[in-house]
Amino acid sequence: MNSKLAPRFLIIGLVLIWAIWAIWPTFQYQRLSDAEKEMLREEGKLAQIESRTIKQGLDLKGGMYIVLEVDLPTLMETLAENKDGKFNRSIASVRNQLKRIPEANFFTLFTTTSGENNLKLSRYYYDYGSNNSDIIVALQDEAEDAINRVLEILVNRVDQFGVAEPTIQKQGNQRIIVELAGVQDSERARTLLESTALLEFFIVKDINTTNQLMVRIDQVLKGDESIAAVTKTTIDKKSNEFQESDDQTISVSELFGETEGSEASSDSAVVDENIFAERPFSAMLRNLGQTIGVPEKNVYAVKKILERPEVQEKLAAVGGMFLFSNKAEEYPLVDGTLEMMYSLFLVEDAAELTGGVVEEAKANLGSQGSTSAGQPIVNLTMNSDGARKWSIVTGSNVGRQVALVLDKKVHMAPNIREKISGGSTLIEGFADINEAKDIAIVLRAGALPAPVDIIEERVIGPSLGADSVRSGTLSIIIGLGLVLVFMIIYYRFSGLIADFALIWNIVLVLAVLASLQATLTLPGIAGLILTVGMSIDANVIIFERIREELRKGKTPKAAVKSGYDRALTTIIDANMTTVIAALVLWQFGTGPIKGFATVLFWGILISMFTAIFVTRTIFNSLTSRKGFTKLSI
Amino acid sequence: MRIIKETNINFMGQRKLSAILSAFVILAGVISLIINGGPKLSIDFKGGILVSVQYTEPMDVTAIRTSLGKINIDGQSFDFSREEIKHFGGPDAVSVRVPHIDDAPENFAQKIVDHLYDSFPGQVPDNKTDFILGKGSVGPKIGAELSGKALMAIISALGLILLYISIRFEFRFALGAIAALAHDVLITLGIFSLLGFEISLPIIAAFLTIVGYSLNDTIVIFDRIRENVKASKREAYHTIVNHSINDSLSRTIITSLTTFFVVLVLWLFGGEVIHNFAFAMIIGVIVGTYSSIYIASPIVVHLHETATK
Repeated sequence: MNSKLAPRFLIIGLVLIWAIWAIWPTFQYQRLSDAEKEMLREEGKLAQIESRTIKQGLDLKGGMYIVLEVDLPTLMETLAENKDGKFNRSIASVRNQLKRIPEANFFTLFTTTSGENNLKLSRYYYDYGSNNSDIIVALQDEAEDAINRVLEILVNRVDQFGVAEPTIQKQGNQRIIVELAGVQDSERARTLLESTALLEFFIVKDINTTNQLMVRIDQVLKGDESIAAVTKTTIDKKSNEFQESDDQTISVSELFGETEGSEASSDSAVVDENIFAERPFSAMLRNLGQTIGVPEKNVYAVKKILERPEVQEKLAAVGGMFLFSNKAEEYPLVDGTLEMMYSLFLVEDAAELTGGVVEEAKANLGSQGSTSAGQPIVNLTMNSDGARKWSIVTGSNVGRQVALVLDKKVHMAPNIREKISGGSTLIEGFADINEAKDIAIVLRAGALPAPVDIIEERVIGPSLGADSVRSGTLSIIIGLGLVLVFMIIYYRFSGLIADFALIWNIVLVLAVLASLQATLTLPGIAGLILTVGMSIDANVIIFERIREELRKGKTPKAAVKSGYDRALTTIIDANMTTVIAALVLWQFGTGPIKGFATVLFWGILISMFTAIFVTRTIFNSLTSRKGFTKLSI
Repeated sequence: MRIIKETNINFMGQRKLSAILSAFVILAGVISLIINGGPKLSIDFKGGILVSVQYTEPMDVTAIRTSLGKINIDGQSFDFSREEIKHFGGPDAVSVRVPHIDDAPENFAQKIVDHLYDSFPGQVPDNKTDFILGKGSVGPKIGAELSGKALMAIISALGLILLYISIRFEFRFALGAIAALAHDVLITLGIFSLLGFEISLPIIAAFLTIVGYSLNDTIVIFDRIRENVKASKREAYHTIVNHSINDSLSRTIITSLTTFFVVLVLWLFGGEVIHNFAFAMIIGVIVGTYSSIYIASPIVVHLHETATK
């Protein structure tokens, strides 16, 4: 071996050893069976291996990706004091503007709208400053603080949800991205993530008040021409039409919650037409003993009725409001069939307590000897302030229900058995321990500082992910095979050298990804395949140059030298532009696209090492051998 | 082995013909874009819901269309029979795309999936998690932001590349390269519009990769021009350019072929999710190779000739 080449071989050798070391855990991890993984997990060694492997993106292993955003208008409403009509109109106007221009900045709109409406913010936010611009800055801080607290609470909740490697990160200053790998039950995950509004305790009004109110609502609606007419009209409205119809006049299809046209009457009618004429509201409801049931099909119509001003008037008269349960459950009907129904609760219109008083909430099995032995229960403790109020509330409402309300949805409405004065409450009546756990999480999360909305949700099923892995791997193998074979046929022995460099290129890219703990996504696999196609280009440029030089009559050694020298600037200039494109993609892209950009970027950089440095070293050691006269190219 | 022997094709002599060909293809694409009111954007940019589900036997799209004609969710009625409903990958899988609805019921995407599941009992997997291939729901705000970001990405990539080439070569080379890029992206966009394919986030990534690839090709030729101009100052400029293209022709063809192979493989075997990405790349490789010879170089020649006249 030529002694001048020794340092080059040393560098190549070291890089190769590093690459094997970096990629080994990934290789090892791929070969583990689930049982072996479980065993390593118990020994506490799995995390160590996992921290050095290439992670698979959600698009490959399946899972949920959710973007949450703080609902700023509502947060601002919550923070404001002495709200008046002017304030409410301004916030409503900002809301409308946001609907029209979704990408607009809330605070910019709020500032201009406040200016236009001559709104003195110090009236509503006197704690935050004295002039509008100071207050806006302070409110921005408050909003950012809110998202940080939401983030903390979400991290807690998701941990309790029991997902392996959840990712929860802040994006910008009002968004949170949650990635839950392998989660398919999006309903349960969604409920936990979205249950982010204020937790409140409401006293449920007694049955008599509720019944009287329903009668009154029926009477109000009965006199209404638009609803009375409904029963006589044949049902032939198309579903699309009613959506455009004015809210003031609920069309028949809305009221029936069904739009199957005339078939509706034969298809186990949701309401009885005769009863409906007399009692348009209660006919849509079911008696479930202590609570009112709303069949799933009638939810929309019931909501529309409750929004009507004359109904709101009646509600205000008794100081109550209607709240739905957070989910529908199956109830048996008289004829033995099952129907999915939401529960509807009439509660006092002011909350007795908010979640801020909750100190601890734990799900357990009732201890031996107690009345709830072996049953799932939740132990709720409150701070001293909460405990004092709680004892008054429970003391004066024994026998009534208290609704645990999160995000204006009733999660549970247990009966108050006795006055609770110690601040420690025991809740029972859960179907299973999981239900108790979910309620405990809801209680513990307490008062989230701001309501959040899910603004983006993506779920990738496990089969699609597995499919992508399979077809991605197949494409890499076939694509790589084609290129390798082509190079050998076209450039013979030199082609083999280029192939060797190409394989090292791929191994090195994977090694870099593993040590960066990067995530491999489907576009990332595409990037890897593209790298195969593009990184061979450097060798093609060099080889074509060497052939040209050989045709000019140069010796193989001289041809190799000038071939490499001349090709170098070309290769660098040409690859730089792709590097620029990859960097821009990395900067602007999210998730999968970022994965693509990472692979492309490293693929090209590494290809310059393998295709130029590695192959040249091999060529040099070949041409400097004694008796070398002919280059196979 | 050699595919390309030494050639002496008069590429610059064909530039009028190629200009007409390019203009024709671009025009067809632009007309299609105008008729369709711009490119067809995916839910990534427009917001909305996309669900894809896997049945156990081949499904008739019309039957699914009918079943979505009367869909009732929480008592609210919808008619999705006119929305985009098509096969996804094979005849067993179906994807449904629904635009954003302001007062949509909660967990809307899942409820659409439930409806698709319940409407065809006996033709669905027992386990619902096997039924869902994927679902996505994007709010209009995210969509609007992404459109802005994608536009910014393309503009800043072009700007940076223009800068790089101006520094490394001359400004007129940069203009030639950018014109070739605009040509490539316009043609790919036009073909997508003509075929009714939608522009999603991965397609934007494909566009930027096409930009990178096409430039790669262009710069190899520019590099030869730069070298040959230094070597022979006496020859006419367009002759030098012709020589340079011929000199690098075998490299151009071999690299294009290998890249074409791999994106073709990706298109054939890569699976449904990156099918359109691979398709964009196939067009990009073909158009990118063509444009570095027939668009970028003639523009450099033209700019040189007008400057020296």
